[in-house]
Amino acid sequence: MSREASQERGARKQRTTNSSRWRGWVRHHRAMSLDSALRLVRTPLGSLFTMLAIAIALVLPAGLWLMLDGARLLDAELDASATATVYLASEVDDEEARRIQQALEAHAQVNASRLITASQGMEEFQRSLGLEDLLSQLPENPLPATIVLTPVDPEPSAMRQLADQLSTVTGVDEVRLDLAWLDRLRKLAELGRRATLGLGVLFGLGVLLVVGNTIRLAVASRRQEIEVVTLIGATHAFVRRPFLYSGAWYGFGGGLLALALLVLGGDWLATPISDLAASYGANYALPKLGWIGSATLLSCSTILGWLGAWLAVSQHLASIYPR
Amino acid sequence: MIVFEHVGKRYGGRFDALAALSFHIQRGEMVFLTGHSGAGKSSLLRLIMRLERPSRGRVLVAGHDIDTLHATQIPFYRRQIGVVFQDHQLLFDRSVFHNVALPLEIQGMEPRESARRVRAALDKVGLLHRERALPIELSGGEQQRVGIARAVVNKPALLLADEPTGNLDPQLSADIMALFEDFNRIGTTVMIASHDLALIARLRHRTLRLSDGRLAADQEAS
Repeated sequence: MSREASQERGARKQRTTNSSRWRGWVRHHRAMSLDSALRLVRTPLGSLFTMLAIAIALVLPAGLWLMLDGARLLDAELDASATATVYLASEVDDEEARRIQQALEAHAQVNASRLITASQGMEEFQRSLGLEDLLSQLPENPLPATIVLTPVDPEPSAMRQLADQLSTVTGVDEVRLDLAWLDRLRKLAELGRRATLGLGVLFGLGVLLVVGNTIRLAVASRRQEIEVVTLIGATHAFVRRPFLYSGAWYGFGGGLLALALLVLGGDWLATPISDLAASYGANYALPKLGWIGSATLLSCSTILGWLGAWLAVSQHLASIYPR
Repeated sequence: MIVFEHVGKRYGGRFDALAALSFHIQRGEMVFLTGHSGAGKSSLLRLIMRLERPSRGRVLVAGHDIDTLHATQIPFYRRQIGVVFQDHQLLFDRSVFHNVALPLEIQGMEPRESARRVRAALDKVGLLHRERALPIELSGGEQQRVGIARAVVNKPALLLADEPTGNLDPQLSADIMALFEDFNRIGTTVMIASHDLALIARLRHRTLRLSDGRLAADQEAS
């Protein structure tokens, strides 16, 4: 046989062993994913409890996140209502006030404006306070004309800059921004975001521990099997595989239950939340998780289950292998 | 096939299970390992299987110092060794067939080829008709033969057995030993730890006798 022919034969042999190894690997994955799923089904109550524990750990951070997501929509609504109030000097008459309004509207940072003349302001004041008799006794109108501005950029720093610029315009007495409450709300939202993140990390760890503990028991109950397959040449990956699939299934099931709990809880809370929001004059509803959110939750819970199983099995394998 | 060079194994810093042990086993040999319990037979087998590492000296198998094997290579090394245990270590949650198929499953062998080899191994130990049985339904001697089938299904170059006849009556023990001789005849290197001195004497193979972790005698085959 020529050298080339023998080389070619060697190459072909190599190719078949590689492809058969690949097929064997795929076959084992398929067998183990099915086998581990069947093991869960065979102990339905225990599996359900583990998945419920995972679901409960996931529902709290996911629910908080949903609420914050809703608050972000609310935030945008608030931005639209951010205004600056320009008080004109008391000696400015209506015509002069209109001229100043036009000048202010020409500013690049001003979106819209509304003029309240001194007499209009007095009328509104009287109406809102119900003090017509008392105020009509005043010798002259003490209120200045005011212009309410809507800025292009509702960010507090941009609004402060705008206020500084406008206060130098002749005829303008003072520019007031009602930013404190907006600022406070923003800080509250930031606090909520951080708290949610922190809780998410803590409860994620909780999921790891729940799955890890369950898998640890499964490993202990199959200890002999692990030892035997290790003795006859199973790799770490081979030994881990069924347990990793079990962990992933637990995580997936827990994620599904968490989704169900979120939908049920959302429905249950929807009416009181919209009633409460309506009483504040806001239009707020708990947002739905949606397809992307659901997929994210499911993949997170599956990965957490897989990781918990990995930690539990690795710890056990380390105790089997000789140093 | 197996070379021990001044091998010592110390447990817990003071107890010497093996001390200055040196011997050489040729490819295709059949060797008995004897000695009272605690003489170090199991430690010696565990060293060859790379379940433990020597405290001193070197263990060479098929020319390689197995102490230098990387952790990821150890499983592939073990696949070349068939092992029979005294308590046979069968898995009781699966049939005889699947117990024997386990080493092939670990290697990812095609199911059809795997089934062919499993049936050949079961046929060799005379248990082909019990392939669907669960191990618990078999007698002690049958369980041990399933263990042997599992050890040889992979056609290993080296077959190790730790007290394979420990719990069997003399007739069954002789049958089991005859099986090992059959595998040896087709070229497998066989090493059997046993304290059944009467049986060993009758079989006239090379015998290593351990005493307190030292090689007390190396008696050639007669």
